[in-house]
Amino acid sequence: MASKVSLKGKRKAGKGSKGPGERSACKCKCVKEWSTWAMKKAKVITHYGFIPLIIVIGMNSEPKPQLYQLLSPV
Amino acid sequence: MGSSVSHAAAPPPTAVGLAVALPPKQDEKAEPKNVDWLNLPCPVPFEEIQREASMSLKPELFEGLKFDFTKGLNQRFSLSHSIFMGSMELPSQSSDTFKVPTAHYEFGANFLDPKLMLVGRVLTDGRLNARVKCDLTDNLTLKINAQLTNEPHFSQGMFNFDYKGTDYRTQFQIGNNAFYGANYIQSISPHLSLGTEIFWLGHQRKSGIGFAARYNTDKIVATGQVASTGTVALSYVQKVSEKVSLASDFMYNHLTQDVTSSFGYDYILRQCRLRGKLDSNGVVAAFLEERLNMGVNFILSAEVDHRKKDYKFGFGMTVGE
Repeated sequence: MASKVSLKGKRKAGKGSKGPGERSACKCKCVKEWSTWAMKKAKVITHYGFIPLIIVIGMNSEPKPQLYQLLSPV
Repeated sequence: MGSSVSHAAAPPPTAVGLAVALPPKQDEKAEPKNVDWLNLPCPVPFEEIQREASMSLKPELFEGLKFDFTKGLNQRFSLSHSIFMGSMELPSQSSDTFKVPTAHYEFGANFLDPKLMLVGRVLTDGRLNARVKCDLTDNLTLKINAQLTNEPHFSQGMFNFDYKGTDYRTQFQIGNNAFYGANYIQSISPHLSLGTEIFWLGHQRKSGIGFAARYNTDKIVATGQVASTGTVALSYVQKVSEKVSLASDFMYNHLTQDVTSSFGYDYILRQCRLRGKLDSNGVVAAFLEERLNMGVNFILSAEVDHRKKDYKFGFGMTVGE
C-alpha cells in the first residue's frame, strides 16, 4: 500500500514536471516546423526569382542598358 | 655612383639568356629589409591557401564541345550563354568509368559591383547555381553559394561571413545539413602565415579540425595542410620567370590509404596560357587557352588516364570577356 501510494506520487510528480516541459517541447516543434516551411518557401522563391532579380538590378544600374540589348546577340 | 660603376663592370658573360628572362636582383639584395612586426600584411583567405597550386594543377578539364558567349550590357551587368555537348563521368565503385552523353544550355546573369556581386547560372534541367558576395562593411563580407535543384533534398547552400583584420582573417560558415565551420588565419611574419579550421556536420555528427601553413615569397609558395579527417596536403609552386611557373602537389589520406602526387607547369605567354600536369595515378593532362582575337579564346583540353584507359579530349571557344 505504501509502495502503491509512493508509486502514484511519483507518477503524479512526473506528469507535473512534464507539463511545462511538454509546452517547451511543443514550442520547439512549432519553431522547427515554421522554419522548415520558411526554408522551403525561400528555396522556391530563390530558385525562380534569383536570375530575374539580377536582371532587374542590372537593368536599373547606371548607365541604363536598353531592353533590346537584353535579347539581341550583338 | 660607385655601385653603378661596379654593376656596369660585372655582368656575368655566360648568363645572357637568363639575365634577359629574370628581373635584376641587385636592388632587392642591397639592403636587408627591416621587418615591421606590427604592420604585417594581410594573409590570403583560408580557402585560397593553395590557390597558386590549384590554378596550375587543376584547370577545368572537360570532354566534348564547349561554347561560351558573354555579352556585356553595361560595365557591371552581363549575360552569358553557354552550350556544352559531351560526356559527363558518373562516379563508379569499380575501375570501369561510366560516361553519360549530356548536352545542356546554360543561361547566366552577372552583376559585378565593387560592393555587391551577384552571379546566377541556370541550366536546361532546372538547376540553379547562385553566388552572392556582399561587402556589408569595409571589413565584413557575406558570401552565399547555392546549388538548387528541382529534385528534393539535393540542394545545397552555404553562407560565409568573412572578417578581415589588419593581419588576420577569420571566416564563419553555415551550410545545409547543419554544417557549421569556422577558420582563422594569421600572418606570423611577412612571408609566413598559419591558419586553423574547425567544422561540425550536424546530421552525421562528424566534426574535424585542421591546420594549415603558407610560406610565400616573390618566387615560391609552399603550403601544408593537415586535417583530423586524416588528410595531409602539401604543395610547392616555384615561379621560374614571369611567364613560367612550376607546381607540385602531394596528398595523403590516412583513412583510405590514398597517396597522390602531381607535377605541373603553367606557361602564361602573350597569346596563350598552357597548363599541363603529370600525376602519380597515371594521368597526364593539358589545357590550352589561346587568344585568337580580342575577346575570342580557343580552348583545348586533354586528359589521358593510362591506368583506367580513359581518354578525354575537349575543345571549345569563349567569346566575350
